[in-house]
Amino acid sequence: MTSPPVQLQAITPSLPTRRDKAVAPFRIMTWISKTITLLGAVLLGHACYSAQEHSALQSFKAATTTLTSTSAVASLPIDIAIETVVATLVILLGLVLGTRPLRPIQWNVWAGKIEREGEEGFLDSEGEMNRDFVGNPFSFLETRPGFVDIRKQRKEFAGWIKNSGPQ
Amino acid sequence: MAQVPVQTIHRDPQLFYWILFPITAVMILTGVLRHYATVLMASAAKKLDQKTMREQRSLLHGINVRGNSHALSKRSFTARRDALITAYESGAYLKDPERRGQAPPNPMSDPSSMEGMMGMMKNQMAMIIPNTLIMSWINAFFSGYVIMKLPFPLTIKFKSMLQAGVATKDMDPRWMSSISWYFLCIFGLQPVFNFLLGSDNAASQMAQQMGGMAPNAGQMFGPGVDPDKQFLAEAENLAVIEHYSVLDGVEQRLLEGIKV
Amino acid sequence: MSSERELQISPIVQEAVMNNSKTLYNLQSLTASLFGVGAGILGLESYSGFLFYVVCSLLTTMLFYVLRVAPTSLPSGKAAFDASRYFRSQFEFWTGGLMNGLAGFILTWTLFYGLVRA
Repeated sequence: MTSPPVQLQAITPSLPTRRDKAVAPFRIMTWISKTITLLGAVLLGHACYSAQEHSALQSFKAATTTLTSTSAVASLPIDIAIETVVATLVILLGLVLGTRPLRPIQWNVWAGKIEREGEEGFLDSEGEMNRDFVGNPFSFLETRPGFVDIRKQRKEFAGWIKNSGPQ
Repeated sequence: MAQVPVQTIHRDPQLFYWILFPITAVMILTGVLRHYATVLMASAAKKLDQKTMREQRSLLHGINVRGNSHALSKRSFTARRDALITAYESGAYLKDPERRGQAPPNPMSDPSSMEGMMGMMKNQMAMIIPNTLIMSWINAFFSGYVIMKLPFPLTIKFKSMLQAGVATKDMDPRWMSSISWYFLCIFGLQPVFNFLLGSDNAASQMAQQMGGMAPNAGQMFGPGVDPDKQFLAEAENLAVIEHYSVLDGVEQRLLEGIKV
Repeated sequence: MSSERELQISPIVQEAVMNNSKTLYNLQSLTASLFGVGAGILGLESYSGFLFYVVCSLLTTMLFYVLRVAPTSLPSGKAAFDASRYFRSQFEFWTGGLMNGLAGFILTWTLFYGLVRA
């Protein structure tokens, strides 16, 4: 009955190294995505300001020159239009790059991914564990009485005793 | 429509600062407030006594056996089915077996069922009260202003809704008053709440309506339902299952899957 | 019956389905508001605005497919434009975004149209 804590002891030291390796690419990805989104937002803000100034100027001109030109307001300068479209696409790219990684929905594919990659496949873009992560769906098999490998656990326990004995 | 010259109305830019932004800000803040109010008011699940718990769990046990029968072997499924059916029909899991066959008590007189109704009432109130308040606030302060023009044309039918408080006959229905900006905000602020509060927030009214439709476990054991009848129905469902196992013919499938 | 058996032999992970559709939904509703800003600045009206929205949201799904779905979906033997590794319903994956973000699009479109054309 004392075996579960021993197992935990044996496993936890290996976890942080795995975490560190996993976090690095996600950090870079989220950094790229945020930079792109910010760049696009600046462009979009500038385009919005330009369009606003343009239409204000047009309506001012229309009011002063007493010419009945209603079509003048409708046309936007081509550079502002291009800037808007480009800014929209840039933000779109940034947002898509910033989405969380997907998970396979078929159970066998998903379990295979977990077995191969461990927990790093379930870190979100911040490098943290998802809230709704439920862990390895097959981990409960390890603790099921019929499947417990008592000899291996005893060996691990003996090794742990030996290692921590001199301290 | 095309022959009519485009109506232009010169609006004071101050309208934006004193009408548009206040309404939008109030709508967003109300959503955030509603989210946190719902989180705070959410009452913890009530503790059930042992008998009630056993009644509900044993019914769920039967449903789960029925749903996952394909994962069991023939022998173990038959054993489970026989045990469950006998227990259901004899009423072994009932909360109070001596009251079997009597009419269920009036749900209004049962204090435990009143709790659940109060919870639903609170949720409804959290949605209705702010909406009513904001709507009357907008009607009192901002009615009669034309603040915006919709970028797409509408039929004349929308005129009475969009231009409430603006009694002008010839105005294009594209011009909208402050109350219609409020309606646009109700439907369109969903992404903002998603962004601010996370995707499973309580601020969105649409999500709550969706959630209300889905049947949950609370309704199944709701007041006024006779558990004995539920047990009997479940026993019948279990009895008619035609059992098969997913492991039937698994060797065949495995051999087909292996490519040399 | 046979499809139900297929589903029982290779079951679906509900949490993964929820996670994927939530990811896609968040992206679509956020980008719909963004397209509203774009359409408002461009001063698009009536049909051209809705056309802009449809084109842009299809582009979003396309980009999402190329960047997120395709890198792992194509090596696992799925056909191109087949998102069944991550989404149960193909139709929902490709067209679901149109309905999800429409309200947000109209809101920001109206707002920025009104702000720019003051």
